[in-house]
Amino acid sequence: MSLEKTLHPDEKIKAGKIGGSLAKTGLAIAVVFLAISLVLGATYGDHWKRFMYAYLIGWTFIFSICLGCLWITILHHLVRGRWVTAIRRIAEAIATAFPLVFVAGLGFVLPVLLGYKNLYYWAHPDAHDPELNHNLLHKLGWLEPGFFTVRFVIYGVAFSSIAAYFARKSREQDESGDPKISTTLRVASAPAMILYSFATCFAAFDILMSLSPAWYSTIYGVNFWGSAMVGGMATLGLVVLGIQRTGRLTHSVNASHYHDIGKWMFAFTFFWAYTQFSQFMLQWYGNMPEETVWYKYRLFGDWQWVSIAMLVGFWLFPFVFLMSRWTKRIVPSFVFFAVWQLVFHWLDIYWNVMPNYDWQTDYHGTASVVAGPLSGNIAYHHVGFTPLDITVWIGLIGVLLIGIGRNLTGNLIPVKDPTLGLSLAHDVM
Amino acid sequence: MSDHGSHGHDDVPAGEGKLFGLLAEYDTPGELVDAARKVRDAGYTDFDCYSPFPVHGIDEAMGIKRTILPLLIFGGGFTGLVGGIALQWYCNAYKWGWNISGKPTWSLPANIPIAFETTILISVLTAFFGMWALNKLPQVWHPFFRSERFGRVTDDAFLIGIESDDKRFDLEGTKQLLIDAGAIAVESCHKDPDLSKAVMPKWLLALIVASTAFALIPLAIAAKARNSKSSEPHYHIFPDMDFQPKFKSDQPNDLFADGRSNRGEIDGTIPRGSLNADDVFYRGLEGGDWTHGFPKTYPDGREFVIDDKLVKRGQNRFNIYCTPCHGYDGNGNGAVPQRVKLNGGAWAARNLVDPKADVIRMPNGQLFNTISNGYNTMMGYGAQIPQSDRWAIVIYVRALERAQNASLDDVPADQRTNMPGGTMGGGK
Repeated sequence: MSLEKTLHPDEKIKAGKIGGSLAKTGLAIAVVFLAISLVLGATYGDHWKRFMYAYLIGWTFIFSICLGCLWITILHHLVRGRWVTAIRRIAEAIATAFPLVFVAGLGFVLPVLLGYKNLYYWAHPDAHDPELNHNLLHKLGWLEPGFFTVRFVIYGVAFSSIAAYFARKSREQDESGDPKISTTLRVASAPAMILYSFATCFAAFDILMSLSPAWYSTIYGVNFWGSAMVGGMATLGLVVLGIQRTGRLTHSVNASHYHDIGKWMFAFTFFWAYTQFSQFMLQWYGNMPEETVWYKYRLFGDWQWVSIAMLVGFWLFPFVFLMSRWTKRIVPSFVFFAVWQLVFHWLDIYWNVMPNYDWQTDYHGTASVVAGPLSGNIAYHHVGFTPLDITVWIGLIGVLLIGIGRNLTGNLIPVKDPTLGLSLAHDVM
Repeated sequence: MSDHGSHGHDDVPAGEGKLFGLLAEYDTPGELVDAARKVRDAGYTDFDCYSPFPVHGIDEAMGIKRTILPLLIFGGGFTGLVGGIALQWYCNAYKWGWNISGKPTWSLPANIPIAFETTILISVLTAFFGMWALNKLPQVWHPFFRSERFGRVTDDAFLIGIESDDKRFDLEGTKQLLIDAGAIAVESCHKDPDLSKAVMPKWLLALIVASTAFALIPLAIAAKARNSKSSEPHYHIFPDMDFQPKFKSDQPNDLFADGRSNRGEIDGTIPRGSLNADDVFYRGLEGGDWTHGFPKTYPDGREFVIDDKLVKRGQNRFNIYCTPCHGYDGNGNGAVPQRVKLNGGAWAARNLVDPKADVIRMPNGQLFNTISNGYNTMMGYGAQIPQSDRWAIVIYVRALERAQNASLDDVPADQRTNMPGGTMGGGK
């Protein structure tokens, strides 16, 4: 028995062809499903509004997965972690899909910049109506298509460069074996974590919270991040498992690694519920119309069933079962909960985005004005799943797979990282 | 584990007394694990491993089953959850219901933070005390403490101790097993021959008894007080804090002829800034009667101008303070009367704009006074609304009365096409 292990002599650590074939599969999925989605979106007959909403949901899903994997990479360096080392290259590969993800994000950002007004209400001319939106006017300097696009690009550059920096330095260490690179990355991880936190928070405000622009919650970004971490950890575990199925890393990654990924998934499952409840309880207690309106359209009418499903499916069920040790260590059970949480992570985004879809029309005098999201009779607000939601989602997952596949090259494990030995011997007592 | 054991008992040789077991030392944690596996495979159960730090894999090597502690903690947490919710139901909903900002007395969202905390509390306490209980702690004395070697177990020694109570224990055979497993040293360990030295010191026992008895005194006093009657005052632990040599404003005082501590205002004086000389502005009075006009100036000397800004201010204040009862258009059908009606009652606030009712004929000064001091069941708003805002409300009420009783002729000609009907009748 030893606290450190060396790499198993028979271990396959080279990516070989898996990266290429994953990217090709992703490309095929993306092309087929996005093409179907475009057809469905065009025939939906609401000037692409439904398509844009579905696209925003799907995009936020792949964006959040990259966010989760980038975070675990930065945190690993920040706290001088050990156990992550064996799977860190995979987390880096998912996080370095950021540039492609942000290019895909232009799919909804560019239309907004070019004058599409039915996705974000603040981009709609009626948002400037002083009588209807007196509580919104002061925000329209920030929520403005040009500035919005600039911020989107800033987020893209920030996340992409953090991810690229950590991945590049890690691969440099593969070549040189210089232990000082670990120190450099540890020093860099603190400012990177601060930048990451601010960018995540503001991205959540801009991309999701501004869908109902008059409403606000300061914990919104943190809550979104909690959900993103669940998605990120689930995906990381599934990708590592997939790579092990090809016969690679079979000796290096053991049940304890999945156990710890599962613990993160468990922790953030609870964290999501905790922050979501914090947001809910303060607004429920304060009982101010401009705050409670957000929950009014989610807790009554059709949407209440989605809210209940979220509570039970995204929190209670996984919380109770992921508490146990075996559910995280036994592969089929781990896979079940990872897939389950990914589906509910998607539903969480859907639940955040889609109640903003129905924009009612208000009349004053002879003029009719679009009153924006969260208005009108609750009975007219429907959940309204469509096949479009699924096809866009799968298509964008294809885009993510292209991004991950392109980064799965060379060593799948940081072979010369000083902490690799400890990670290989990782054993959760 | 303590390393004090080997000191202080040096007067008793370790080799004397009844045999307790064998203690074997190994060089590294890895060898300790291998040896533990061999001892387990030989069928021993009454043995333990001692090391300065937790050794990975030792549980499996010793054949120790996984602890049931997580299950106990889950039970504790569940108890905390149910207990926390039950406590709140009993206190807030069942026994002492209390209306907090109109929420139901039994309302789950408000109870979750407390239930969360009690869940954590009971599960943490279960974890802490459960760990002690399952490890049979606290254990203040162990025969192995008599070994010099055992003192190093918190420093650099990796030891296996097999107790002689084990069914398979056989001094020579067991010793050979430990040596075959790679021990660098094996020693036999004996119980203290003079057991009187292994009992708790008398002074410690006395201290525990005394402090326990002392801790019971407050409980005894409380029990006595609950079950007996007494004309004596309460016990006061800090009497000089409870009874301070000073007078509070509502206490009697023999020093003064009127017997009050509170001296009030001295006759013929007015506090600085409280003169309030302007009868119109402060009281709505002009020559001893309600004014029909408005103040000429504000107290700071500014001219009192009735303009669009002031009317808007009046509307804003009116919509905050007056509409709950009087309604937005002043017809007395606000949210409160509507709610009364929903509950089967009948109560209407005064109609401010009805041409046949009293309010419309009240002088401005009387309206101002009503806002300040109330009228019948209406309470005064003087404490909440400053005088300047009360005047703004008066002006807005006057504007409402005008607007609610207007005819089409009052509307500028170029805007009449926007009107829904011929006249804008009062009320809806």
